[in-house]
Amino acid sequence: MSALALPNRRVEDWKYTDLRNAVDAEAVEAAGTATWSVSLSGAVEQNVLPEIMPYGRHGEMGSVAASHAASGLFLRVGKGEQGTAHLSLSQDGHGRVLIIVEDGAALILRETAAPDGFVNVAFDVVLGNGAHLEHVRQTERNEAVRVRDYSLRLAQSATYRAHFADFGAKLSRTELHIALEGEGAQAHLSGVSVLGEAGHADVTTRITHAVGNTQSTQLFKIIAGGKSRGVYQGKISVAEGANGSDSRQTAKGLLLGERAEIDLKPELEILADDVKCAHGAAVGDLDPESLFYLRSRGVAEAEARALLMRAFLEDAVAEVADETIRAEVWSRVEAALAELSE
Amino acid sequence: MLQIDNLHVAVAGKEILKGLSLSIAAGEVHAIMGPNGSGKSTLSYGLAGREGYEITGGSIRYRGEDLAAMAPEERAAKGVFLAMQYPVEIPGVTTMNFLKTALNAQKRARAEKEIDALGVLRLVREKAKALHISEEMLKRALNVGFSGGEKKRLEILQLALFEPALAILDETDSGLDIDALKVVADGVNAMRSPERAMLIITHYQRLLNYIVPDRVHVLYAGRIIKEGGKELAHELEAKGYAEIIREAA
Repeated sequence: MSALALPNRRVEDWKYTDLRNAVDAEAVEAAGTATWSVSLSGAVEQNVLPEIMPYGRHGEMGSVAASHAASGLFLRVGKGEQGTAHLSLSQDGHGRVLIIVEDGAALILRETAAPDGFVNVAFDVVLGNGAHLEHVRQTERNEAVRVRDYSLRLAQSATYRAHFADFGAKLSRTELHIALEGEGAQAHLSGVSVLGEAGHADVTTRITHAVGNTQSTQLFKIIAGGKSRGVYQGKISVAEGANGSDSRQTAKGLLLGERAEIDLKPELEILADDVKCAHGAAVGDLDPESLFYLRSRGVAEAEARALLMRAFLEDAVAEVADETIRAEVWSRVEAALAELSE
Repeated sequence: MLQIDNLHVAVAGKEILKGLSLSIAAGEVHAIMGPNGSGKSTLSYGLAGREGYEITGGSIRYRGEDLAAMAPEERAAKGVFLAMQYPVEIPGVTTMNFLKTALNAQKRARAEKEIDALGVLRLVREKAKALHISEEMLKRALNVGFSGGEKKRLEILQLALFEPALAILDETDSGLDIDALKVVADGVNAMRSPERAMLIITHYQRLLNYIVPDRVHVLYAGRIIKEGGKELAHELEAKGYAEIIREAA
């Protein structure tokens, strides 16, 4: 059996995340099937994967997951229903998840925990007319190599809100392929990566405004200390005729040391005439004037640094709509910041 | 309270203060006046302990201790407060949260009992009223989108809240219209006390009409070239810096 050609830094989309360097192709080939512990409430049905999966665009590793996972998870929320699902990955390997939120239905999806090994999961998500998905993922810092490839298709007036809090792994890649296929569809993505030591976190988004009057916003913040590396790559494509599309994309990095690295790469591809697109990306370090101001008011240096880092992340975490989940994200973020400011 | 003796301070290798001496006792209000580039800001930053302001000679004693050896936060906890000319904007930190964090950090450093959120809120509200600082302002991110006057009033609110033993006011009048100036001056005057020393650093005499100093020092080229009572400020206003500098030379 010939080994897989794993994406590596010579592949443009994987320039900052060299999977080949992090894991053996043989190990990827030989990896088993991922399993989750699932907790559901409300009107969420859990099933085995159907024979025929909806088509959604994936990246290289999403396709590998789809072909290597022996089984998977299928969650469905029926028309007009509501529910919540909490997925906690319990066994590493290749995995496949299908989520369908039917017309007018709403789902809150939480993902937590991650085993230490190799994880490669392809998610296919379909949101019907007016469907609503609130998605928050929070992963623990460990030495895992994990790739999550989400493919989402949004019908008319569907809304997807997602927040990704990543604290680094040996390699952590989050890929989002989002197709806004119906008028009024909206995707609001946010995330924070708080990285220290040799941690790595890569968020790569591909949003297509396939039709007009669709909206996407992105707000990603990365703090990198130690020898860590944080990556954000975001490509927005506005299809021909998708007039009235509105997209905003902001990525900011805060570098804490000379050995850390942050790579931000926003891209726009606009084929329509009448669109609003704004994007910005910037990497800086902690502002010495702000630090001095706080210290001159009695705030000790480590606390002042943590306060400024928290402030840097504030608007991104504020995007988590659910107050309880937001508080949990904050408490994890604050613990990570305390480690970084020591 | 404060004894500065033959102080030399360099910024980026360039000597700005060249042998400044000054002594302030508790209960006194002193003013330092000087033209642009005379070293006023260097003195205030040097006293507060800003990085990059290197003391190359002389000494600063504060209540008998070597102030220069202390970190900025240590100086604050021991009662040194600098109201800055350009207060920094910090998005993502609400003004109220900042005040609470700073006040309790100082208390913690002094091994005093911290005040809970409600207690701080009450205290801040009470002090904010006199300075015409609204609830809404306290909810906003620190100094973000504040007018020049609002920023200066917030500095004075901190003066009232922290109750420092030594307050240094750096160009507190800059950018204020006459009404805002009066509010700020009233706030400062309310803090005058026999236990507290104040150092007012200013280019113009205007502020000193409202906060009347006990002593006035003229700073030029990194040294005090003339000293006097409050009337010196008026003399400066009448003659201008050039004349006073000529006389002192």
